[in-house]
Amino acid sequence: MKQHEHIRNLALLAVVGLALAFAPGVLSVYLRSFLLFTMMYVVLALSWNIISGFTGYTSFGHVAFYGIGAYACAILVADYGWHWLPTLGVGAVVAGTVAVVLGYPVLRLKGPYFAIAMLGAAEGTRVIATVWDSLTHGGLGISLPSADTSFETYYAMLTLMVLTVLVAYRVGHSRFGVRLNAIREDEVAAEALGVNATRYKLAAFVLSAIFPAVAGGIQAYKVLYIDPPSVFFVQITIAMALMSMLGGKGTVIGPIVGAVLLYTVQELTWVNFPTAHLIAYGLFIVVIARFMPRGLMGLAIDRGWVRKGMVH
Amino acid sequence: MDGCSFAVPAGKISGLIGPNGSGKTTTFNMLTGIIPPDDGQVIYRGEDLAGLKPYEVFARGITRTFQITRVFREMTVLENMLSVTGLSVPDEVARSRAEELIAFVNLGHLRAEYGGRLSYGQQKLLEFARALMTDPDLILLDEPAAGVNRTLLQHLLDQIHRLQERGKTIVIVEHDMNVIMNHCEWIFVMDYGVKIAEGPPAAIQGSERVLDAYFGRRRV
Repeated sequence: MKQHEHIRNLALLAVVGLALAFAPGVLSVYLRSFLLFTMMYVVLALSWNIISGFTGYTSFGHVAFYGIGAYACAILVADYGWHWLPTLGVGAVVAGTVAVVLGYPVLRLKGPYFAIAMLGAAEGTRVIATVWDSLTHGGLGISLPSADTSFETYYAMLTLMVLTVLVAYRVGHSRFGVRLNAIREDEVAAEALGVNATRYKLAAFVLSAIFPAVAGGIQAYKVLYIDPPSVFFVQITIAMALMSMLGGKGTVIGPIVGAVLLYTVQELTWVNFPTAHLIAYGLFIVVIARFMPRGLMGLAIDRGWVRKGMVH
Repeated sequence: MDGCSFAVPAGKISGLIGPNGSGKTTTFNMLTGIIPPDDGQVIYRGEDLAGLKPYEVFARGITRTFQITRVFREMTVLENMLSVTGLSVPDEVARSRAEELIAFVNLGHLRAEYGGRLSYGQQKLLEFARALMTDPDLILLDEPAAGVNRTLLQHLLDQIHRLQERGKTIVIVEHDMNVIMNHCEWIFVMDYGVKIAEGPPAAIQGSERVLDAYFGRRRV
């Protein structure tokens, strides 16, 4: 990609960021919340895409990192009186550490075995949060001190989204990203051509863990109450995966488009078909999967609207 | 492989031949760390490489192509090339080298095409060029002629000779005896995991043992 194309893309991100920054001043509470959730799903989808899209290791358990971040914030704010912002860093460090420790054994597994192992890991994390009640308050959950956190959390999520987009963009358009793609395409051949697959996979796994953790922390501070089922909700992982796949996993713009589109559809179906929104939502996903199996970006590449490859 | 032992002459083009299932590709896999040997050594420049990971073998200047092409199908030709160089190599250097090699194998007009959409012969060329990205000293080519038309094959062989003239060591696994006999200076023959003969092409062509291995002819 030429220099001017990078500048154009970054300028576009800046424009969107600025628009989102000014939006709370003119939008209703509902729309502000809608935008916050949309930004959160952009973060989650982009993060999932780093390990599952770029590297080809499909994770069914990434909600574990989201939950870790949520609990880090809730515990430190509610029980130790911390200001919420530094707790996001703690959540990121804890999630990154867990990713390193977990990554070494599970990244030796391939395909469905890795996916299931991650599902197990997420469930294990939920169970730990439920039974370790001296730390997590167990099934009772944790209530944070009451406050109007809507503006703070909105701008925190906006900042996180911009940062995640920048990181995903950098990964996607770099030789680091090319090497992750090589692992996805053919790990044996990649190793024979000099790629230390273990190291690269671990790096991608850690990178994909820290942003969901921060998003979880922000969400915890927004809703002011968390418990294991709400933050280790498997549907969050499903949403990450669907949004990334709908938009086009393995690309940078794909998860962003997928998150915005799918979350918007989800909200519209919930609002307009309150009793049947899951059916309508499900039908939408089936249609997309049937007619665009490589997602929207795959369609755009096949039609020649977007160039092939990430590095040109 | 079963007690197989041979020494590849440096700076020459050697051939490794044998009937199907004789262990040729397994030999390459062991040399490059894809399969660790149960026993024995792989000595390269005084160092035993047996048991090293493939990327560690690669870092020592040994590269290979595969019997059935393993280009990265959903990555472009350029990305296939760039995937090989380590991150410590500056971007401009990596790109310059990639473009040079893409031109070397006449794939410049396809640099933005997915590897999986190339013809089989073009994939062979891409794999060959990709193997040269880091300027290795030992190049193992596994059936480079398979599925390639004569014109492309001649082009490939010309490039192989150019590499040898620059001091590279090349080992070719092949079933095409024209390629082996006309382009290799030394030949190893395997059968059932064992080296049964080695020598210059003329000696191999006249070897009864080699003919037995290929044709199963009873010795009279």
